[in-house]
Amino acid sequence: MRRIIIDADKCKGCKNCSMACIKAHKSSDATLAFADPQFESRNTILLNGEKKYKPLFCRHCDKPACATACMSGAMIKDPKTGHVIYDRDKCATCFMCVMSCPFGVLKPDRMTNTYVVKCDFCAEHGSEPSCVKLCPTKAITAKEVK
Amino acid sequence: MKHVIIGAGAAGISAARTLRKQSAVDEIVMIATDRLAYSRCMLHKYIGGERDEKGISFVEEDFFESNRIRFCSDRTVTKIDTSNHQVCFADGVESYDKLLIATGAESFFPPIPGLKGAKNVFGLRDLVDARAIKSQGSKAKHVVVIGAGLVGLDVAYGLLEMGKKPTVVEMADTILSSNLDASAALTYQMKFEEAGCMFKLGCKVEGVLSDASGQVSAITLGDGSQLNCDLLVVASGVRPSIGWLADSGIVCERGVVVDNYLATNIANVYAAGDVTGLSESWPNAVEQGEVAAQNMLGMPNEYTDTFSLKNTIHFFGIPSLSVGRLNGKEGDVEESREDRKRYQKVILRDGIPVGVILQGDISRSGFWQQLIKNKVDVSGRSKDIWKVSFADSYGIEDNGEYKWLFD
Ligand SMILES: Cc1cc2nc3c(=O)[nH]c(=O)nc-3n(C[C@H](O)[C@H](O)[C@H](O)COP(=O)(O)OP(=O)(O)OC[C@H]3O[C@@H](n4cnc5c(N)ncnc54)[C@H](O)[C@@H]3O)c2cc1C
Repeated sequence: MRRIIIDADKCKGCKNCSMACIKAHKSSDATLAFADPQFESRNTILLNGEKKYKPLFCRHCDKPACATACMSGAMIKDPKTGHVIYDRDKCATCFMCVMSCPFGVLKPDRMTNTYVVKCDFCAEHGSEPSCVKLCPTKAITAKEVK
Repeated sequence: MKHVIIGAGAAGISAARTLRKQSAVDEIVMIATDRLAYSRCMLHKYIGGERDEKGISFVEEDFFESNRIRFCSDRTVTKIDTSNHQVCFADGVESYDKLLIATGAESFFPPIPGLKGAKNVFGLRDLVDARAIKSQGSKAKHVVVIGAGLVGLDVAYGLLEMGKKPTVVEMADTILSSNLDASAALTYQMKFEEAGCMFKLGCKVEGVLSDASGQVSAITLGDGSQLNCDLLVVASGVRPSIGWLADSGIVCERGVVVDNYLATNIANVYAAGDVTGLSESWPNAVEQGEVAAQNMLGMPNEYTDTFSLKNTIHFFGIPSLSVGRLNGKEGDVEESREDRKRYQKVILRDGIPVGVILQGDISRSGFWQQLIKNKVDVSGRSKDIWKVSFADSYGIEDNGEYKWLFD
């Protein structure tokens, strides 16, 4: 399967990845702005105690805890692509997936709490992750992994 | 090899998936009282009319065909004959090489005088219950729910959606007392009350009264008062479904006793999910089903993640999460913060988080379970507890997955 490989040491915290993610998934024509709650990025960049950047991206885990926790069949690991895909219509918004993601990647949508904000590997953009395309330092790259 | 799974809930289905994934040739048979594979966690959405029977399924439409599973639905197993390697039901038997007991749990009806035998009294565990509550609820004038835990509130929520105004009676002084602290519980209580639900808290049900035809007509409370009632839903906990195993030779305590490999005392017989009494939650049942299936296939695997003090709640657009301890004990340190939209509390013991409650905003909060489960000392990290995250334990595997680095 393909996974976004992270080299945290190369991350400069520019947040181009988050902007790219918002842009790739936005449905309205409104101007992009981080502060506007209708725009939410699936990825983010954490800071650790030593003020180092630690990019937080869905790993599409081999054993996804979010999918194990899902009681509606909305979150499943696609056997073909290996990606963990999310079906908003099936989702019962119990948010067990949010609690179960060991790394704290998932979240309910900020405006309505009616769906889970989840990386889809830019399926609608030919499964070429938009964040990767816009990363200026190559801290994130999409690679085939076993 | 022929695998037989009793039960088509979270554990049974996940076991079947695992068996098929690992073995293309083994025969798989599932037997269940249920007619369909559906998620009981969505039964309140069925009662409330938000979803139909199909809408509460948690498997693909062609799950049984595409995985080549023979599904014997609407069949209740009454006995396991371990010496002849077969399970028995009313109209036949099914032989097995490996057997998985995944019969879940059933509603517990407390020994309240007059409750047993009264008509129009239900639990909420399966679709049959949900259907009964829905159809009787549409006619009922005075609906009472006993128990303000998650299931009791699910029932109340479904009934509110139907336009009913149920009364919920609870022995504890707060609702959701095993899931939230008093402050977070009150938020939901007020929302339920705004929607028309009534609560009688700190109240014990002393008796159930029926009319001449045996229909429930009222309940009496510890304070001597009476509540009219023509539909009673009992949501005071569950017990593993083991009654039918009485003469099987399979050792049971609270639930079916299993070892770390989820094997019972009888060779080739395994158990997973609520029936083991190890947990009462969906994720744990799924995990156990998977582990049991691997052991049934002769791929030894231990069930290690027994942590089950965790839950999420979502009513009226307000999500909550709780992991571990809900209220601090002597010597614990509590940190909390609150604003118009959220309430958050962490309980620490010697620098180690032992409990967290988040309400209103549960964004990117999954790491808390890891900190609590793995007893990670966070005292050397950011002074601001709300800045703690995965970042300070950030590790990456060769295949690009994350891993927790514990110091
Ligand atoms: C209303 C409600 C809401 C819930 N909400 C949540 C939630 O939000 N989060 C959460 O984590 N958990 C929740 N739970 C708990 C969760 O549903 C269970 O933990 C989970 O379903 C356990 O899975 P299981 O496979 O062990 O058992 P079950 O899902 O109960 O499946 C048992 C299966 O065994 C079958 N069966 C039983 N006896 C026999 C027999 N003798 N012969 C043949 N078949 C038999 C049944 O028909 C069924 O198919 C909820 C439960 C209820 C009732």
